[in-house]
Amino acid sequence: MLARYPILQLAFHALLRHRMQTALAMIGVMVGVGALVTSVALGRGAQQSVDDQLRAAGANLIMVTAGNFQRAREEMTDPDGNIGHTALLAPRTGGMWPQAPRPEYRLATLTFFRGVMAGGGPWAPTGYVAADPRLMLAHYEDDPLAIHDHPTAKDRLGDVSAGLGSAATLTRADAAAIAKLSGVQYVVAGVHENAHISVADDPGRKQWFTRLHGTEAKLPEVRSGWSMAHGRFLSDADVDGSTQVMVIGRIVADRLFGDGANPVGRTVTLWNQRFRVVGVVTSRSWASQPTAGDDQFDAVYVPVTTINRLLNLSKLNTIAVTSESAGDVSALAKRIKLLLRERHRIGVATPDDFSVATVAQQAIGKGLSPALARAVTGNLQDIDRLTIEQLSASLRRTNLTMLALLAGVATVSLLVGGIGVMNLLLLSVTQRTREVGLRIALGARRRDIALQFVLEAILLCLAGGVLGVVGGMLASGGLEHFFQWSTVVSPLSAVLALPVAALLGVAFSLYPARRAARLDPIEALRHE
Amino acid sequence: MSIISLQDLKKTYTLGDNVVQALAGVSLEIEPGEFVAITGPSGSGKSTLMHIIGCLDRPTEGKYLLDGKDVSGLTRDELADIRNRQIGFVFQGFNLLPRTSAVENVEVPLLYSRPVMPVAERRDKAMKALIAMGLGDRAHHHPNQLSGGQQQRVAIARALVNEPTLILADEPTGNLDSVTSIEVMRILQELRERRGITIVLITHEPDIAAYGTRVIAVRDGKILSDRPNAPRDTFAEAPVAIAAVG
Repeated sequence: MLARYPILQLAFHALLRHRMQTALAMIGVMVGVGALVTSVALGRGAQQSVDDQLRAAGANLIMVTAGNFQRAREEMTDPDGNIGHTALLAPRTGGMWPQAPRPEYRLATLTFFRGVMAGGGPWAPTGYVAADPRLMLAHYEDDPLAIHDHPTAKDRLGDVSAGLGSAATLTRADAAAIAKLSGVQYVVAGVHENAHISVADDPGRKQWFTRLHGTEAKLPEVRSGWSMAHGRFLSDADVDGSTQVMVIGRIVADRLFGDGANPVGRTVTLWNQRFRVVGVVTSRSWASQPTAGDDQFDAVYVPVTTINRLLNLSKLNTIAVTSESAGDVSALAKRIKLLLRERHRIGVATPDDFSVATVAQQAIGKGLSPALARAVTGNLQDIDRLTIEQLSASLRRTNLTMLALLAGVATVSLLVGGIGVMNLLLLSVTQRTREVGLRIALGARRRDIALQFVLEAILLCLAGGVLGVVGGMLASGGLEHFFQWSTVVSPLSAVLALPVAALLGVAFSLYPARRAARLDPIEALRHE
Repeated sequence: MSIISLQDLKKTYTLGDNVVQALAGVSLEIEPGEFVAITGPSGSGKSTLMHIIGCLDRPTEGKYLLDGKDVSGLTRDELADIRNRQIGFVFQGFNLLPRTSAVENVEVPLLYSRPVMPVAERRDKAMKALIAMGLGDRAHHHPNQLSGGQQQRVAIARALVNEPTLILADEPTGNLDSVTSIEVMRILQELRERRGITIVLITHEPDIAAYGTRVIAVRDGKILSDRPNAPRDTFAEAPVAIAAVG
């Protein structure tokens, strides 16, 4: 095959003539390219580990909830789609920070809300709904066929107006539309109920009143710190087929089947329907042990589609969204808000019929009355940008510094490699002066001679480049394995490394090639 | 029309403060089909003359018409093209590429011909040239596997491969014994007789110059004498069977 490209063959021969020098020059290029690939891998790895850490902290979680507890009093969403803020405590006066509320006013507000919560459920005629779902859901209503003198799950999720705060407005179509936004990692639709779960065919009719979550297969990805004690989580097939399978929390499993029991394969009853238990979920973290009454492990999970089918409705309570990168949570939340307003055909002057909250907002509101928390975080609309994004930005800056350092090392290595190539070629030109003279005498033009040497350098650098890519990948793997540095070798950097190597060859062969091309044939032929 | 026409050619070199006049006004006409032997002791200017005739060097003054075309003012690359198409070189030291087979050595001028020649055609032409030199069975031997005479025949095949009208032989027998020298001279004679190729031979040996049809003696950068010659008969001297140059 080489015979078809005699000039390539020449380059090969020339390189093979000085094996030692060729090998040394190649090692130079290899180190340079390897350093380049490794530094890119380290840079991307650091970037990813920052994102991973922020993600693990839940910093990338956005919770979309049906209804808007502040509807009646809320300021209009501004046209930019900023998360709705409220004038409950103090009117915004233009600055980012609200004026400090007068103490007695705040006290009055709190008292007012306590009154609402004590006296009202979602059916309360006040229109101001108790925000704590535990208060309003503390009723027996797990039998969808029973006749109640108060709204049932179906009523609250369905079309019956059950108060503005719990307006059922989210659909799976909304979830699907959100999933199509850029920057979205996972979208999990949710319906949340309280229900009695009992062990099927159990003569003792052992039962447990707990949280019921209709959800989707990706929920474990959204919830950090989960592990499966037994079995598996719900699958996409379960959700698509609205099958009657259930994953139960550790607490529920303990209460129904005995401490530490493995109930996978057993059957439980919910709403007089039989569900097969496919898994038990527990906490991976010592920091959040399963406790009775918690929302995650004293709970059961069934496909959201199964609940929709059994209750014959299609509304959702929540849509949990995670962003791919922790840094763009605010922007994504804003996009979700605008998307839902458009989908729900909410006019400019109308408040949202849903609410979008980021974890940062929720964290600040923790321990406060939800309404108060919302009032605070609503006014501090840029709160998550101040925290997560600043944290992520400062981590990124640290990365950049490290990356610049590595890039500097890589550049120096490439330069050294290039000088090695140039040295080899100068040697080659000197040793082959007679040959070059002969070629010129036989009709080679300047560019023919120059091309031969440039090609030689390109070949050398490409070979060094391939070795460098392999070496860089090995080095990245080694750093990850032995030093637990996170690295991401991108195929793109591997592919780009070769043109870089070739370019290096061209750059450092120009001078020797020019020297060869300018040789005087008479002098060159006399050269010994 | 003369194939080579030199008109008052001068060439001076500057070596430090010394100005050396290698050619001090040479005028010369060489007709197609002549076998011209240029002789002279070293330093006489014969090498400089050959370099200029071979388009490897340019005169300081005077005119050089090759095949009627003035080449004294051409660029380096234009001269390279002329060397490639019109002139075949045979050197004293053969100047074959080491670690390269005979046929690949013969192909070298074809690598630089314009337009670019297809691989198969290149190989074909090189093989034909080698066969004409009686070396068809040595095509894939490397120079160090060939005798001196065979090496010089590879070099002649290389000079012939682009079908030039002029062959410049610079001391072609300098590294050869007398029998092999006669062989090489016979090849040159046959090239002239059968193909009508003009031969310009540079030598310092009167014996070798005697194979030409015309002998020019150069001394101190000037033509000392220029006379026709009855060439020595190579068949009578060494009736060895060598390939006919067809």
